[in-house]
Amino acid sequence: MAGLSFENYQRNQFLAAKGHGVPKATSTGTTIVGCKFKGGVVIAADTRATSGPIVADKNCEKLHRLSPKIWCAGAGTAADTEMVTALISSNLELHSMSTSRAPRVVTALTMLKQHLFKYQGHIGAYLIVAGVDPTGSHLFSVQAHGSTDIGFYQSLGSGSLAAMAVLESNWHEDLDKEGAMKLCSDAIQAGIWNDLGSGSNVDLCVMEVGKDAVLYRNHLTPNVREQKASSYKFARGTTAILKEDIFKLIDVEEETIHSEAMEVDA
Amino acid sequence: MAQTTVASEYSSEVHAEPIEHRFNPYSDNGGTILGIAGEDFAVLAGDTRQSEGYSIQSRSMSKVFDVGDNILMSANGFAADGDALVKAFQNQLKWYHFNHNKELSIHSAARLTQQLLYGKRFFPYYVHTILAGVDEEGKGAVYSFDPVGSYEREQCRAGGAAASLIMPFLDNQVNFKNQMDPSSNGTKKKELRYLSLQEVVNLVKDAFSSATERHINVGDALQIVIVTKDGARTEYHSLKKD
Amino acid sequence: MNHDPFSWGRPSDETYGSYNNAIANAGNVSAFPKMNTQQPIITGTSVIAIKCKDGIIMAADNLGSYGSLARFDDIERLVEVGVNTVVGMSGDISDLQQVQRMLEQLEIDQSYEEETSALRAEHVHEYLSRVFYNRRSKMNPLWNACVVAGLSDDKPILRYVDLLGVTYESACVATGFGGHLAIPLLRQKCDFEAEYADISLDEAEKLVKECMKVLYYRDARALDKYSLCRIDNNAEKKVTITKDVRCEDMKWEFAQHIKGYGTQVV
Repeated sequence: MAGLSFENYQRNQFLAAKGHGVPKATSTGTTIVGCKFKGGVVIAADTRATSGPIVADKNCEKLHRLSPKIWCAGAGTAADTEMVTALISSNLELHSMSTSRAPRVVTALTMLKQHLFKYQGHIGAYLIVAGVDPTGSHLFSVQAHGSTDIGFYQSLGSGSLAAMAVLESNWHEDLDKEGAMKLCSDAIQAGIWNDLGSGSNVDLCVMEVGKDAVLYRNHLTPNVREQKASSYKFARGTTAILKEDIFKLIDVEEETIHSEAMEVDA
Repeated sequence: MAQTTVASEYSSEVHAEPIEHRFNPYSDNGGTILGIAGEDFAVLAGDTRQSEGYSIQSRSMSKVFDVGDNILMSANGFAADGDALVKAFQNQLKWYHFNHNKELSIHSAARLTQQLLYGKRFFPYYVHTILAGVDEEGKGAVYSFDPVGSYEREQCRAGGAAASLIMPFLDNQVNFKNQMDPSSNGTKKKELRYLSLQEVVNLVKDAFSSATERHINVGDALQIVIVTKDGARTEYHSLKKD
Repeated sequence: MNHDPFSWGRPSDETYGSYNNAIANAGNVSAFPKMNTQQPIITGTSVIAIKCKDGIIMAADNLGSYGSLARFDDIERLVEVGVNTVVGMSGDISDLQQVQRMLEQLEIDQSYEEETSALRAEHVHEYLSRVFYNRRSKMNPLWNACVVAGLSDDKPILRYVDLLGVTYESACVATGFGGHLAIPLLRQKCDFEAEYADISLDEAEKLVKECMKVLYYRDARALDKYSLCRIDNNAEKKVTITKDVRCEDMKWEFAQHIKGYGTQVV
């Protein structure tokens, strides 16, 4: 059967009513932003992944490639953003081959929203989709329920308000590439410093019309850990050796075989 | 009422009776505290971040207090209850001085704290409390309490948001749990010894910088208060702010 | 036997019927239970404030919301107490006005006690925090979040207290949406307590006005008309509250370039 299975849905509802919590998926409290400029578009993300109050990954990648010149930044359920991105990326490539045309951002957007709408929000992916195609540069956002938005700047995730405050107060119509990169990294930093769900580094991706997309992995690293006060190297023998067994797992035998020269393809 | 099976996302939200919307008198303000007792001193440390949900309310709220009589106190969890408990303690201490005209010993302070906490058994202070000081023999003392007043004297204790991250580290580095004497060929446990003040401060710094790395409610700055028979002094160190 | 461990040790519903909650409330014999504030009715949104070298700037808009209805546009939420303290309040307006009366009474009682007005910002904050904590402990909260700003020994004091009795002190303080949208902008200038000495009152006023604009852009319960309070240690009159200040230099023109929400072009 194609698609996701919902066969245990009622059982889970029953268990929930009995007081057993529904297992919770890892969610990425996140700050992601995107901003257009003359001749292109920039997207950026922080690199913290959390499960509850615990930092699960200090340097994860939230920028995903949908096609060489279309990238997207993901917030929400980690597994969903990765899987939905991989699926749409694959379908976009097939679509591009069958039509013999470069993939368009609106195509990616339409495929994403139709897929997400079909699953009625159960796929918890919140994405900022951006890129360049033969029709120019584009910037969109998609919500888990399938609604989309368009604008000169976007922000999503738990740090979206911090980031949006920076975007609202510093964005202007005639930004250039450097200005847009600075604005996006400032917006992400607002999330890193002020939102507990976001942290660590700034990743950035610049997509310019007529050029290859450039990914700046760890564009800024303002959170390098300082040296520890002491060393925690244990003296040899701290861990007791209770039993010692040595197994010889590999036997190496050398054998020279004399034979005619091997046949190879011409 | 006949129960019909509704297979929709909202089936769990359909109620036979109207739901009562109740005021929740508690919240969680994060932060972590840590107390370690030495031979003739004790330290009580805490980070200075106060948070609510995913927001940082303040990066510079001290939560370790020198409450007088060489006693350090910190009540970590719901900030309003923590402040109320410390204030109630200080008020009781003032009356103790008026009535008895002598210093309150650390073990009496611990018993008083138990009474204050258990006094609100059915509307508890939502806090993990740690007291630190020097006992009547001059030895460092740390007492830790659960929210309703159960307590114990210990060599070390971490409380609050990242307690579960720091406590195993302390078991290993202060009480030498799971460590053998290296020269004994695995036959003898590593012998317990008092740590020096410098060793303890280094341990506290590393415990907090590590908790900051992995817990979102810990960070900004570290307040370390050191108490000896001669009084208390405080030092501050910065922590990461993301 | 019920194999669900959650129901072990409880009288089984099958044998005894479900628990009658009236038993637990047997003491309350009156026909109507006592009603406490369980939700706010007319509400005010954010209050924002920042500390600086010579004083404090604080602002709160004039909107009184009735749910999503913008009901009143002339609500004053900055309350002067004594000669150098101002309390900004958000949340329920009727509770706000009650607190205002309590503060007036406090001022009167205090003036009987002492000839020179000795009521200072930290005293007002301590008073409010006790009132709010006691009310929450009676399960009958005053539904507000307050910012107390003032001068004490020529030093600026800026503190917060809310319906739970939670308090804190910081170089920049904001309630409600302001905590998400304004704080990141305010902290760009003055993140740590010690940094407030580096900014002037005029700089701070400009920043607060910018924040009020961002709040009007993004907080659906905000208004572009607000009161601005300036506490200046060097002025003759320490506290000045300017009323009916308007958000200026807003950008809305970009909207005409945005069409639809994705694939639309006209």
